[in-house]
Amino acid sequence: MAHISLRQVTKKYGRFVAVPDLSLEVAEGEFLILVGPSGCGKSTLLRMLAGLESVTHGEIAIGGEVVNDQMPRQRDIAMVFQSYALYPHMTVAQNMGFSLKLDRCSKAEIEERVAAAAEILALTPLLDRKPAQLSGGQRQRVAMGRAIVRDPKVFLFDEPLSNLDAKLRVQMRAEIKSLHYRLKTTIVYVTHDQVEAMTMADRIVVMNAGNIEQVGTPLELYDRPMNRFVAEFLGSPSMNMLPGEITGAAGALSLRLADGSSIALPGRDLGLAPGDRVTMGVRPEHMTIGDTGGMGLDIVVDVTEPTGSDTLLIGRAADCAITCELDGRPDVRMGETARVTIDPAHLHFFDEDSGRRIGAAG
Amino acid sequence: MTTTTTEHMPRATGRRSGRKGGFARSRNADRLTRAIVIVVTVLALVYILLPVYWMVKSSFQTNADIRALPPHWYPHEFTIQAYLDMTYVIPIWRYILNSIYVAAAAAILSTLIGCSAAYVLARFRFPGMTLCLVAILATQLIPPITRAFPLYSAIQSAGLLNSYTGIIIAYAGFSLPFCVMLLRGYFMNNCPPDLEEAALVDGCSYFSAFWRIILPISLPGLAAVTIFTFLNAWNDFLWASLLLNQGDMKTVQVGIGDFSGEGGNVRYISMFMAACVTATIPALIMFLFVQRWLVSGLTAGSVK
Repeated sequence: MAHISLRQVTKKYGRFVAVPDLSLEVAEGEFLILVGPSGCGKSTLLRMLAGLESVTHGEIAIGGEVVNDQMPRQRDIAMVFQSYALYPHMTVAQNMGFSLKLDRCSKAEIEERVAAAAEILALTPLLDRKPAQLSGGQRQRVAMGRAIVRDPKVFLFDEPLSNLDAKLRVQMRAEIKSLHYRLKTTIVYVTHDQVEAMTMADRIVVMNAGNIEQVGTPLELYDRPMNRFVAEFLGSPSMNMLPGEITGAAGALSLRLADGSSIALPGRDLGLAPGDRVTMGVRPEHMTIGDTGGMGLDIVVDVTEPTGSDTLLIGRAADCAITCELDGRPDVRMGETARVTIDPAHLHFFDEDSGRRIGAAG
Repeated sequence: MTTTTTEHMPRATGRRSGRKGGFARSRNADRLTRAIVIVVTVLALVYILLPVYWMVKSSFQTNADIRALPPHWYPHEFTIQAYLDMTYVIPIWRYILNSIYVAAAAAILSTLIGCSAAYVLARFRFPGMTLCLVAILATQLIPPITRAFPLYSAIQSAGLLNSYTGIIIAYAGFSLPFCVMLLRGYFMNNCPPDLEEAALVDGCSYFSAFWRIILPISLPGLAAVTIFTFLNAWNDFLWASLLLNQGDMKTVQVGIGDFSGEGGNVRYISMFMAACVTATIPALIMFLFVQRWLVSGLTAGSVK
C-alpha cells in the first residue's frame, strides 16, 4: 500500500504533447479511476506510472520515492493489461508464480502464495491449464491473480474488463471492488466506461486531451460537474444540454431557447443575469412526463426504448436532442409531442463560451 | 427447396446466368477439373522425383546394370554392395560429419544473431532503423557470385581459409538477412508487446523478457530460420569449394563433387549414387523432424 504523487508530469512524443503538466495525488489504499475518451492520455499516464513509458518532465513518486528512472520491476507495482498478457507457454500456476520465481522465492513459498491467490479468485481447479484452454473471464481472473500474488505497493489496471461481455463485466466489477476491500492496496484503474468508473471508484479523475477536467468522488462529479465535458461524459444516458439566453429580471428569469420558446427558471439565486448566454443541463432522470405546472418542455418523440423497469424517451426540443428516463411504461408514441416537466432542484448551468459551471446552480 | 429451384431454373436465359463459377458447377465439369488437377500434379511430381528415383535406383544396381542399353527402369540385379563398399573409395561419413558440424553451427549462429537483431528491429525505434532495414534487404539483391572474390579475400586475410570457422561465419552471414526479416515479421505479428511489458512489470529485464517469454513462444519462427540456414549450408557447393577444400575437412557436397571430378562417377557409378543417397538422408531427417514448425513458421508472419 503506497501513496502516489504525480508532480507536473509531462509526456511528449516528438512535438505531440500527450500529457501536459499534470499533477495528481493518490492516497494510500485509494481506488482511483482515470476515465476519459480514447486518446485522452489516461493509458499513457498509467504506463508512465508502471515505468513502461518515460516521463518527459516532472516527477512520479510511489511511497515517497521518486521512481522516474526506475525500471518497472524496481517500482513494486503489479499491472493487469487490457489483453491480459498471459504467457501462452506457461500454465495458470506458472503464470501466477512467474514474478515470485524471478524474486527467487522458494518453491514452497511460490506454491503457497499461488494457491492462496487462486483460492481468492476461484482458480484452484484451473492451475494446470494453459491460457488457451480458458474462457475470457477465467483469463481475466488469472491476470488479476498474477497481480495479487505479489502483494505489491500499487495495482495498475488498464481497461481490464473491456474484452468481456456485459454480464461478465458486471460480475468482475463486483469482484475487483471486493478484492480492493479485502486487500486495501492502492489501485489506479483506467477505463473509458463511465459506468465502471461510477460504480467502483473512491475517486474519479476525468481526463480530456491530456488534461484533468475534474477530480472527485463519483457522486460529486455526477451532481456537480465543473464543466460541460464532465457533465456530458458522466452519466448514461448523458446529460441533456439546452443552449439559450437568459431573459427577464432578477427573481423571474427565463431561458430563451434557439427556437424562441422560453423556460421559466426557479426564483432562487442561480448566479445568472439577463443577457448571459448559457447552456442548461438536465439529467434524463430529472425529467418527468406530463405538465405539472412547473418548468416544462415540449418534446417531439423520435424513439421510445422500454427497458422493462423504465422507459427512455428520445426526442427533440428547440433543435436539441433530448433523452428522458421515465419511470414505468408511459403511453407515449413515436412522432407525438409530449410535455415533460423538469425538476428545478437539479439544474446545471454552463457558460456558453468556456463551458465552465456557473455559480451555485443545482 | 433449393434443389427444386435449381432444377426449374430456365437454362435459356444465357450461359452466364446459370453459371455459379469455381467448383460449384455441373457434376461433369467438376469431375473434369479434378481429373486435370490430378494429372497435372502427377506430371509435376514425376518431373521433380525422376532424378531422385534414378539416383536411388542406381544405388541398388551393379555398374553393368546401370550402363545397360536401353536403360533399366528398375534394378534387374538388386544389390546393396555399393553401400557396403563406398567407404573404400570416398570417406563419406567423415564428409557428412563435417557438413553436419558446419551446417548446424552456421544455423545456430545465424539464428542467435538473427533473432536478437530482429527483436530490436521489431520492437525499438532508433535513428537509422529504416536505413538498417533497407541495407539488409539490399544484400538480397546482390548476386552471390559477385561476392566470391571479396569474401575469399576477407576470409584469407583473417587467416580463416580452410577452417571450419571461416565457412561457418560465411554461411551464417549469407542467411542472416532472410533470418532477420522473417523473424522481425514473426515478432511483430505473433508476439504482442503486452507480453514483454507484463514480463517487465513481473520483474524481468529487457533481455530476460526476450529470453524467457518471447523466444519460447517464437519456436516456430526460430525453427523456420534454423532449418533454412541448415539446408542452405548443407546444399552449398560454391562457397565450400572456395573456402574449405582441404582433405578431410571437405563438406559432403565438395567431397562428392571432387570424387565425381576424379572420375568416380564413371568407374564407381553405383557407389557414387549410394554416396549421393546417403548425403541426402541427414537433411531429409532434419526436414521431416521440423517440418510442422517450418510450415507454421513460414506462414505465421504472413497472415495474422
